[in-house]
Amino acid sequence: MSTDPHWYKDAVFYELHVKAYCDSTGDGIGDFEGLLTKLDHLQELGVDCVWLLPMYPSPFRDDGYDISDYLSIHPDYGSLADFRSFLAAAHDRGMKVITELVLNHTSDQHAWFQAARSSPADPKRDYYVWSDSDEKYQGVRIIFRDTERSNWAWDPVSKAHYWHRFFSHQPDLNYDNPAVREEIWQVMRHWLDQGVDGFRVDAVPYLIEREGTSCENLPETHEVLRFLRRRLDEAYEGKVLLAEANMWPEDVRPYFGDGDEFHMAFHFPIMPRMFMALRLEDRKPLVEIIERTPPIPEGCQWGIFLRNHDELTLEMVTDEERDYMYEEYARDKVARINLGIRRRLAPLLDGDRRRVELMNALLMSLPGSPIVYYGDEIGMGDNVYLGDRNGVRTPMQWSGGWNAGFSTADPERLFLPLISNAVYGYQAVNVESQRRSESSLLRWMQRLIRVRKSTRVFSRGTIEFLKPRNHRVLAYVRAHEGEAALVVNNLAGTAQAVELDLPALAGAIPIEMFGRSLFPRITEAPYVLTLGPYDFYWFRLRWL
Amino acid sequence: MADLILETLAEAWTKYLGTIRAFLPRVLATVSLVLAGWLLGLLLGFVTRKVLGWVRFDAAAERTGAAELLRRAELPPAHRLAGATVFWVVFLGFVLSGIDALGFRGVQGLMADFTRFVPRLVVAFVVLVVGLLVSNFAWRATLIAAVNAKLAPARVVAGTVRLLLVVLTVTMTLEQIGVARAVVLTAFAIAFGSVMLAIAIAVGVGASGLARRLLEEHLASRDAKGPEGLSHL
Amino acid sequence: MKGPSLLSDELLRHLMAVGQVDVVVGLPTLNHAATVGGVVRAAHAAFAAGLKRERTVLLNVDGGSTDGTADAVREASLVAAETLVAAQPLRTVHGISAPYHGLPGKGAALRTLFAAAELLDARAFVLLDPDVTSVTPEWVGGLARPVLREGFDYVAPVFSRAPGEGPLVTQLARPLVRAAYGRRVLEPLASELGCSVRYAAHCLTQDVWSAPFVNYGIDVWLTTTALAGGFRCAQAALGPRRQAPRAQAPSLPELLRQVVGALFACLERHQAHWVPREGAEAVETRGEPGRAEAADPPDPAPLAEAFRAGVRDLAPVLGGILEPATLEGVKAAARDEVPAFPDALWVATVVDFAAAFHGGRIHRDHLLGSLVPLYLGRVAWHLAATTGADPAGAEEAREGLCLEFERAKPELVRRWNAAGGR
Repeated sequence: MSTDPHWYKDAVFYELHVKAYCDSTGDGIGDFEGLLTKLDHLQELGVDCVWLLPMYPSPFRDDGYDISDYLSIHPDYGSLADFRSFLAAAHDRGMKVITELVLNHTSDQHAWFQAARSSPADPKRDYYVWSDSDEKYQGVRIIFRDTERSNWAWDPVSKAHYWHRFFSHQPDLNYDNPAVREEIWQVMRHWLDQGVDGFRVDAVPYLIEREGTSCENLPETHEVLRFLRRRLDEAYEGKVLLAEANMWPEDVRPYFGDGDEFHMAFHFPIMPRMFMALRLEDRKPLVEIIERTPPIPEGCQWGIFLRNHDELTLEMVTDEERDYMYEEYARDKVARINLGIRRRLAPLLDGDRRRVELMNALLMSLPGSPIVYYGDEIGMGDNVYLGDRNGVRTPMQWSGGWNAGFSTADPERLFLPLISNAVYGYQAVNVESQRRSESSLLRWMQRLIRVRKSTRVFSRGTIEFLKPRNHRVLAYVRAHEGEAALVVNNLAGTAQAVELDLPALAGAIPIEMFGRSLFPRITEAPYVLTLGPYDFYWFRLRWL
Repeated sequence: MADLILETLAEAWTKYLGTIRAFLPRVLATVSLVLAGWLLGLLLGFVTRKVLGWVRFDAAAERTGAAELLRRAELPPAHRLAGATVFWVVFLGFVLSGIDALGFRGVQGLMADFTRFVPRLVVAFVVLVVGLLVSNFAWRATLIAAVNAKLAPARVVAGTVRLLLVVLTVTMTLEQIGVARAVVLTAFAIAFGSVMLAIAIAVGVGASGLARRLLEEHLASRDAKGPEGLSHL
Repeated sequence: MKGPSLLSDELLRHLMAVGQVDVVVGLPTLNHAATVGGVVRAAHAAFAAGLKRERTVLLNVDGGSTDGTADAVREASLVAAETLVAAQPLRTVHGISAPYHGLPGKGAALRTLFAAAELLDARAFVLLDPDVTSVTPEWVGGLARPVLREGFDYVAPVFSRAPGEGPLVTQLARPLVRAAYGRRVLEPLASELGCSVRYAAHCLTQDVWSAPFVNYGIDVWLTTTALAGGFRCAQAALGPRRQAPRAQAPSLPELLRQVVGALFACLERHQAHWVPREGAEAVETRGEPGRAEAADPPDPAPLAEAFRAGVRDLAPVLGGILEPATLEGVKAAARDEVPAFPDALWVATVVDFAAAFHGGRIHRDHLLGSLVPLYLGRVAWHLAATTGADPAGAEEAREGLCLEFERAKPELVRRWNAAGGR
């Protein structure tokens, strides 16, 4: 396992939900014991770090993000001992594990809230944000506007209003209270002492409220985050904090601080633009957003992804772009939710193997640490008819047999039904059959990740876009410590020729990275390349 | 009469003592200069020795073969020699200044001449040293090459080379100092010319066979087998 | 990284066309028209017979031959091609012939070959010498297989030698390399080798390519770099080695200057590795070394005479190199009809010379030139001792010398460190 303090810069992440991965108890819900048995699959894929979605006790009114006990494991998933065994097994295979840290709010079933609401004199009263009226913090936007009318909720037990930026059953914690900060630090300590390698921190912009502001991204919020980071650095080494802040890159930049806040943050706006660029057959949206991304401190890294457990968010795009995306990718309105599209990668791309490969190649060659969503390595399908975003959270498809090898329970008992249509159903798309075929998507993903990890130029290198006249071709040079790679992607579904101006690279011999074939030496003259539909080249540049 | 003698004597002695009195300060100046020169020379010589020891001057002297020469001539090691040289140069300089301070007119002229002469002396010294080093180096190279080429009179050949180079060096040095220039140059020309002539006659007439064999052996195809028929690799 | 390219455009185009291969056989040439044909034919025969399944290429890089070497290579390839058609190999057999950049010499040629092998992503690289007339197809397979199939990084050849043959190797290079580097490589000076691209890539990154000894000492540098670099080394028995006489072959003094100079220079380069090593491990060997029949043993008398004359005439120079005890021993040896130059005295001589080389007290060319008569004395003694002896006895004598060198290693280390600290 890597002892480099900046291991997360080179890591390939894998996001999964314990309940959806593998069930060992036969109750239809995945658990840690089952997850442990699937670590070989992750190791073979080349995963360096597993990101676990919330696994804590919860009434499940927000899919586990409403937490009622920070310090235990939900009994459906196993015990703390099971978790520790899984953690040890992952570490033995050289993989790290990060878990969710939901800072902003708890479930209203949490013991703290139960105590806080019981009486105004309770020591835990100030753990939450109370008010006698709902007039404070006027004008602050409502996030879940489909379901909530206000950011204040009336608690009949304590006869007061409490503040909640999300669902009304998720009261916000009061970070102006030092005791709260200390409690949260103790929560972090608890999991770090178990051996966890870091946290994906949910909903960071909303921690602090101040009158007359948007109550988002306040300086005091950053202070809280710096406090937690300071305590982390004092007591542990090699841990990572990954921020979830769905904002423009220049607005996310403050969350890295001066290298004293988060180590990593998701780069949300890249993701819809990758899909847009592909559909438009034009590199413009992608090049613009990356060139607009500000530089970040030395020890920091962006996290990039194609899909995750939420909808494909179209928050950070213009209205025009959103309409375009809805028309191209979610013609059927049932696929739309909140401000996004609740589909998996393969169905979004019509199951087109070439497009799936190209998108994954972009994920692995653009700047940032890639995060693969579970199931996308085999091209799993989705079910838009399940409520909320459950359509992309169906059980992992391991084989073509009973319950896709996910569980021995009755199929009706599974926490969510399996995908079973003829195109994406588990009989057609599963790990076992793809392991047996050298030409499967799974094998291809393993090779892709292997080639990506053969050099640090992708994980740590600079990026310089080449802008050939052919707008359908996205080409860039990644460079790091004397190594250089030329990446050329054809975003079009038709064969393309492109002339690249590479005088700065004259004299280099391009060696294609998957097959090691030599290409003609680069000269001062324009370098002509031809690409098939959705084709891409990764060239290692050698000066010999 | 006696008074006259006494008076003359007194006058002479007074004059003499007066001269002494006038002269004494200059003597004191000279002595002080000589003393100062001696002390400063000691100090600079000491510093020179230490600095040269620190920069490993002796090692360099070994490599160029100068140390070898010095040992042969029973001179002290290079860094000590350099220190001694610095001492003497400084000391002599102060001595000259001291003599100058005495104010002897005839001597003063000599001093000027000597001062003009010093640079040529230095150059001559350098020529001598370099020439001796080169001749030593060439002697060793010739000796080894001759031995390995199995030339029977290897030592003679090497010695001859050294001798010629030494003679050339000495001639150049003497010429530089300007000692009996014409004589030296003429003698050198005659000696050098006659040696060359003798060698030419010897090679061309007397040792033609040997010369031919040597040339043939040199130009003949040689393989990794030596002339003894042995394959070394 | 962006200096002038090692690979000419012409060579690069050839490499692109050939693409990824399993085995590259490298053949550097400079006016070898007389002998290169045999080597080319042997290489192609190896491709057809012993390396049938592998993707192969014979890569000839030339330093600007003017004697028709290029034509000879082409002709030999054509002849080989005809033979190949009869042998019906599975794959296309490739041959490349192109000039290389840089001053003509083994250093530039080898660097180009290594770079090409790395670009072609070869699994094994074999280097052949175009001067050798005894190359068989088995040479290529013998040097390539340990790399291809067993994962070795460096394979040195082992030749069948007649007793008394190759004294520069058996009396000096072999025992010195064995004692210093702690590995029993029998032919540290061989110009043939097999290696992995990992090793070739490592060599490319070293700063030896502009060193003065790169053109004549590269063979010993390759061997010692493999030993010092922690690479997996093996040996392959190839049979006898016979070389054509060369018009411009160096004289013995020149040869000693090159070889011993390179040996000592490599000791300086690798001193961090060999100084702390102890003992001498065996190197895995594939195949049976065998023995060559001796021609008439050469007469040691001229060698002894050269030794005596050398000691007599070079006494003042030797005094500055050898320790007093060693000098006494050498002078005593010179007084005998057949010089008594036993192992202990020879080892002490070599140690003194190595220390003097490192200490830099005497110009290195002079130092190495002074070694010639002593070497001849030793060879004379060795010939006299082994003529008429049975092969086992001769082998025992060679082993005895190696052990003597090993015993003297602490003294070598001590003298080396003292000379370096001066």
